[in-house]
This record gives sequence, structure tokens and C-alpha cells, in this order.
Amino acid sequence: MSTASFTSRRKRQLAIAAVLVVLVGLLPFGIKDVYTLNILILMLMYAALSQSWNILGGYCGQLSLGHALFFGLGAYTSTLLYTKAGIPPWFGMIAGGLIAAAIALIVGKACFRLAGHYYVIATIVIAETGLLLFHNWEWAGAATGIELPFGSDSWLYFRFARDKLPYFYFVLVFAAITWLVTWKIENSKWGYWWRAVKDNPEAAESLGVQVFNSKMAAAALSAFFTAVGGAFYAQFVAYIDPESVMTFQFSLLMALPAVLGGIGTLWGPALGAAILIPLTELTRAYMGGSGRGIDLIVYGCLIMLIALARPDGLVGLFTRRKRSAA
Amino acid sequence: MSFSINRRNLLAGSAATLALGAGAVRPASAQTKEVVIGALYPLSGAAAQIGVDAQKAFEVALAVINEKSDLDLPLAGSAGLAGLGGAKVRIVYADHQGDPQKGRAEAERLITQEKVSALVGSYQSAVAATVSQSAERYGIPFLSADNSSPSLTRRGLKYFFRAAAHDEMFSAAMFDFLDAQRKKGQKVDTIALFHEDTIFGTDSANAQLKIAKERGYNVAADIKYRANSPSLTAEVQQLKAADADVLMPSSYTTDGILLLKTMNELGYKPKAVLAQAAGFSEQALYDAVGPLAEGIITRGSFSLDLAKKRPSVGVVNELFKKASGGKDLNDNTSREFMALLLLADAIDRAKSTEGEAIRNALIATDLPGEKTIMPWSKVKYDESGQNPYADPVLLQRIGNTFVTVFPAQAAIADALWPMKK
Repeated sequence: MSTASFTSRRKRQLAIAAVLVVLVGLLPFGIKDVYTLNILILMLMYAALSQSWNILGGYCGQLSLGHALFFGLGAYTSTLLYTKAGIPPWFGMIAGGLIAAAIALIVGKACFRLAGHYYVIATIVIAETGLLLFHNWEWAGAATGIELPFGSDSWLYFRFARDKLPYFYFVLVFAAITWLVTWKIENSKWGYWWRAVKDNPEAAESLGVQVFNSKMAAAALSAFFTAVGGAFYAQFVAYIDPESVMTFQFSLLMALPAVLGGIGTLWGPALGAAILIPLTELTRAYMGGSGRGIDLIVYGCLIMLIALARPDGLVGLFTRRKRSAA
Repeated sequence: MSFSINRRNLLAGSAATLALGAGAVRPASAQTKEVVIGALYPLSGAAAQIGVDAQKAFEVALAVINEKSDLDLPLAGSAGLAGLGGAKVRIVYADHQGDPQKGRAEAERLITQEKVSALVGSYQSAVAATVSQSAERYGIPFLSADNSSPSLTRRGLKYFFRAAAHDEMFSAAMFDFLDAQRKKGQKVDTIALFHEDTIFGTDSANAQLKIAKERGYNVAADIKYRANSPSLTAEVQQLKAADADVLMPSSYTTDGILLLKTMNELGYKPKAVLAQAAGFSEQALYDAVGPLAEGIITRGSFSLDLAKKRPSVGVVNELFKKASGGKDLNDNTSREFMALLLLADAIDRAKSTEGEAIRNALIATDLPGEKTIMPWSKVKYDESGQNPYADPVLLQRIGNTFVTVFPAQAAIADALWPMKK
């Protein structure tokens, strides 16, 4: 591929993304229903979270199933700063992101020497440890959790009683930023290093790639954005407890859209989230009332179908069409 | 005694409800208004069985509300809600899977899409925290059927109500019982607390410690142990040395079994064991320890013994048995049945499906305990939305069964004190 066509391809992707953001941003003018907006917000949130996960898990190839720890750290940092010290969540979001990034570096220092499955297991164990700590930490609400104060609508404290639009636009911007960061990285020194580390760490090292530092940078960046997502979630739901923000299930939910959509690709996480989240929400809402778990069966079957038909992720559908068209 | 609710009527009733539920277009009966109530329960995941049982309890409650019978319960005497021209009540279920975020989203869906007049739920207290906030934001009353976290009614919410007891009321009832024993001339001066170290045991012991101080009981021992401990010998030796009049354990099943077995091995016999439900409500514990549990007292929300004093209990239990395939009403299903009845009763008195009017009717609720299937003395909400008259029951293990020994309006026998060994 020539440099010119590569640059034009990247420019085209940026244009597509811009058009998509504008189109999605216009949706609330037609959709007034809070439940549909709720699904859109969750979809964008998981797109952003999965995009953040994709930085470490997809591009750098370090599969983490412990991202719930970073998510929970973000949620708890902003909520504790808000409820205990009255600090607006905007600051808490950044503080939570920095704390999560710092923790990711500490964890990375110890764990990035582990390869493959051992690293995956270590991330699970560390996240579970975090969950247990928060379960027993009285000051942070322990198992009872923390409820965010209930008050008049406020941009400063990012709380809105019935209005979903502020949450919607925040999370849209958040998803766009994580996409943009990934887009920027794809063509940067780090991006190339990360993919080299993913493909073959020994070969990369012999070519002068700083393997350890690459992993650390990817982990810190990924953790930062995941924690911002956690802080958003806490504001959106207005109640957090360790069970609802730090369980293993969350780690899976962050990885799943990227894996389904196309791991280590620019569009995979967004595509995966756009399919998975409406699917899980709608099947639960319209089939979940029976108590027979039909919604979960349908959900599981669809995931299996997609995995069987497109093992490389749904993004493969688009590239294939392009290839056959060419 | 004849009750006009029989199986056939019940089935016809549910069929009619189903027909309405399917949104069948029937122009002839278009003038019959329908009241929709949203029920939020875990219908999939680890606690799914709770939600499925709750659906059966609501099914029975709907039959009582929508059919005419001579049960001594609110709304039993008329078909549908008389205050709304005989409108039938319909339930829309939502599955929150025990997740606070899903609970909030589902509550909003029920309110904005299904246009429910009120909400009932939700088993997990964490979910009730978010559901009640959504209900508050839309001005839709939420009646908690079975959430027991005390903090829920302490948040100053206007649209949140709870007819059943919360955890601290359970502990208070245990001390009410000890006070009653004192009045009878028993010597009850010292107590020993024995609790596990997770949230349940810690909260329970904290409440008990506070009440014991207030009411002048001497806490001879306050022993916290590691949940699922392999051995409790050291702890039981401490208990034996303290030799309190009453032992109050807050333990889950396996720890409860180990406690009773160790007490037997070390020859420790307090005058009474007064347990905070949990493991001591589980059949598994009694199967495991057999005669060692004889005379133990535990607290509960409901008892079938009430049927002897409140005949409607027996009839409702029979209906529930039919609906659920042979299960008796328990602590959860009895509260769920009653919650829907209380909510429908408030809507009936409000003569409106507007949130504000229903809220005012809930505030005005003043129902004597005899008109419920619960051991409560009455239903009347305080300014926080809590019903302070929701007395729990104390049950003593005699032979192979439980006997209700407290409070007076539910008791069928006096407690054996000191308990036999």
C-alpha cells in the first residue's frame, strides 16, 4: 500500500467518524423516549469503554479481564470526592483516571513479566482483590454502596433528574475522544510498537522496541479512559456499590464488544457495542418478564452465531465486501 | 365457611387479566378502565427463583383484587377497584437481574412506556435504591415489598413506602420479646452477641449492641468470628466463660450448624438462644443438627400459625399453593402478596391513577393488622414512608416444627424458657 493511499484511507476514516458523530448527535431530535435514549447512552458508554480496553487488549495484545478494577476506581474516586468533599465530578473524573492509570502502572510493573494466559489470570485476581477491599471498606460505603445526593439539575455537579440529553452528549463526546485517540495512535510510534509487541515481543525487542515501556504506556492510557467511564456511570446511575461497578462481569462486558466487533481494530469496539447493547437491553425488556431466561438464551445464541460466522469480528464483513468490490 | 374464590374463579380471573394484558381490542368493554402496576424483580440470574415466586404471589393478589370474595382483606369484597368504577388491576413485570443500573432503566421504562401508576419491588436493596430515585423523579409511588435495608427509608424520599419491617426493627422485636420475658419475672440480665464478619452479621450486631445499651441489658460478650470458619471452639469457650442468659447469634447456615455442634461438645447451654434468622431460618440447619436445635428461637416476617387467628391467611396460602405448585407462603411471598394489596387499596381510595393522589392515599393508609395476612399490628406509614407497626414474629423450634411465640397478636403458645435441652 502506498503512503498516499494510506493517508487518504486514514483521512476517509476520520471523515466517516465525524459524519457518524454528527448523525448520532442528531438522533435525540427524533427520539424523545427515555428508554431508547437510555439504550443509546449505554451503547455509547460501552463503545467508549471497549475502545479503551482495545488499546491495551487489542493493539498491545495484553488481554485484560480485570478492567472492572479501573472502572470501579473511577466510579469510587469521583463519587467519594463528590459525597465526602463536595468536589464536582468533573474533577473526580480526571482524578479517578489518574489514580487508575497509576494503579495500572503498579500492576503492570509486577505483571507484565507474565506472558499470555498468566497475565489474564493475574488481571482477574487483582480485580477480585479490589472488589473484596471495597466490599469491606466502611468509609467507602462497604457492601451497602453510596448513593449520590439528590438535588436540582446542575451542570457543575453533572446531575439531571429526568433529562437524559446531557448524559447522552457527554458519552457521545467521550466515545468520540476514545476513538480519536485510537485513530491517532494507529499511526504513531507507540501504535507501531504496540502492534509489534502483540505480534512477537522477542522479535520486537531485537529490533529496538521498548517492550516493557510499550505495555506500561498502553495500560496507563487504557486505565485512564476506563476510569473516566466509571465516573460517568456513577453520575448516570446515581448509586454505586462494589457489586454493580467492580465485578468480573464488567470486565467481560468491556472486552466483549471489541472481541465481537473485531479485536485490535479501529471500528470493532463501536460496532460490537452497537449490536450487543441494544440486543441485551431489548431482549431483556421484551422477553425477560417471563422468568424463564429466554432473553439470555436468545442473546447467547446470537453471540455464538456471530462468533461462528465471523471469528475475526464483525469488522471483517466490511473489509471483505471491499475486497470483493475491488 | 364459604369463600367465593375457588380454583375455577381464580383461573377465570387470571385468564381475564391475561386477556386484558394482551391488550386485546374489545370496544364493548372499552369504558372499563384498567390500572397498571409495575413489578420489578430479578427474573434471571442468581436470584431468579425469588422473582418467579413473587410472580405467583402477585397472581394470587390479583385474584383477590379483581374477583369478589368474602376474605377479610382490602378489596376482596368487590370485583376490581370500586373507587375506579370496578377497574381491574394488571401487572407489568420487569427483570432487573439484581443490577441497580438495570433497575433504574426498567423503572423508567415502566413509567414512561407502560404508563404504570405505581411500582412494587424489588428484593435486592441496592436495586431499590435506584428504582426509588427514578420513581421520585417521575412522581410515581414505589411500595417496597421485601427490601430490608434500614437506610432506604432514611433518604427523605416522598414517593417511597415500605409496609414491612427493616433490619433494625427485627432486632428491636427481639429485645421486645426479652422485655416481655423480664416482665414475666424471668431473669434476663446479660446477653452474648455472636456474629459473623460480613455486612449482615456486622450490621445485626451493631443494632443489637445499641438497643441492649438503651434498654439496660449487660452485654457479657460480643464475639465477631470469621465467616465460614473451620472451627469455632475458641469462640464458644469464650461464650461459655461469659455465661450470659441469652445467646444472640447472627450466622449463616454452615456457621450456625458448627456453633450448635460445638456448643454441644463443650457442654454450653444458655437459657435461651435468640437468632437473627439467616441460617436459623434454613431447613438445612435443622436437618444437620436435629435435636440440638430444640428450643431455639429465631425471628421471621411471617408465620402460617397466623391462620389460627386470621382465617384469610389459610385461604391465601391455599391459593398460593395452587398457583406455585405446592409451596407454602414464606417470608418473601407473604410480603409481596400484601404489598400489592396495599398498593391497589391505596389506588382504590385515591380514586385516581395519578402519582400524587396515590401518594396521598398511601399516607392516609390506616389498616388494622387483622385485615392483613401478616403478623403486623397495623399498616400506617410514618413521615419517612416506613410502617413502624410491622411487627416481626419470633418462632421457637419445638419438636420438628416452628411455633409462633411472639408477638401476642400472632403467638399461639408461650415460649419455653429456659429452653429444654
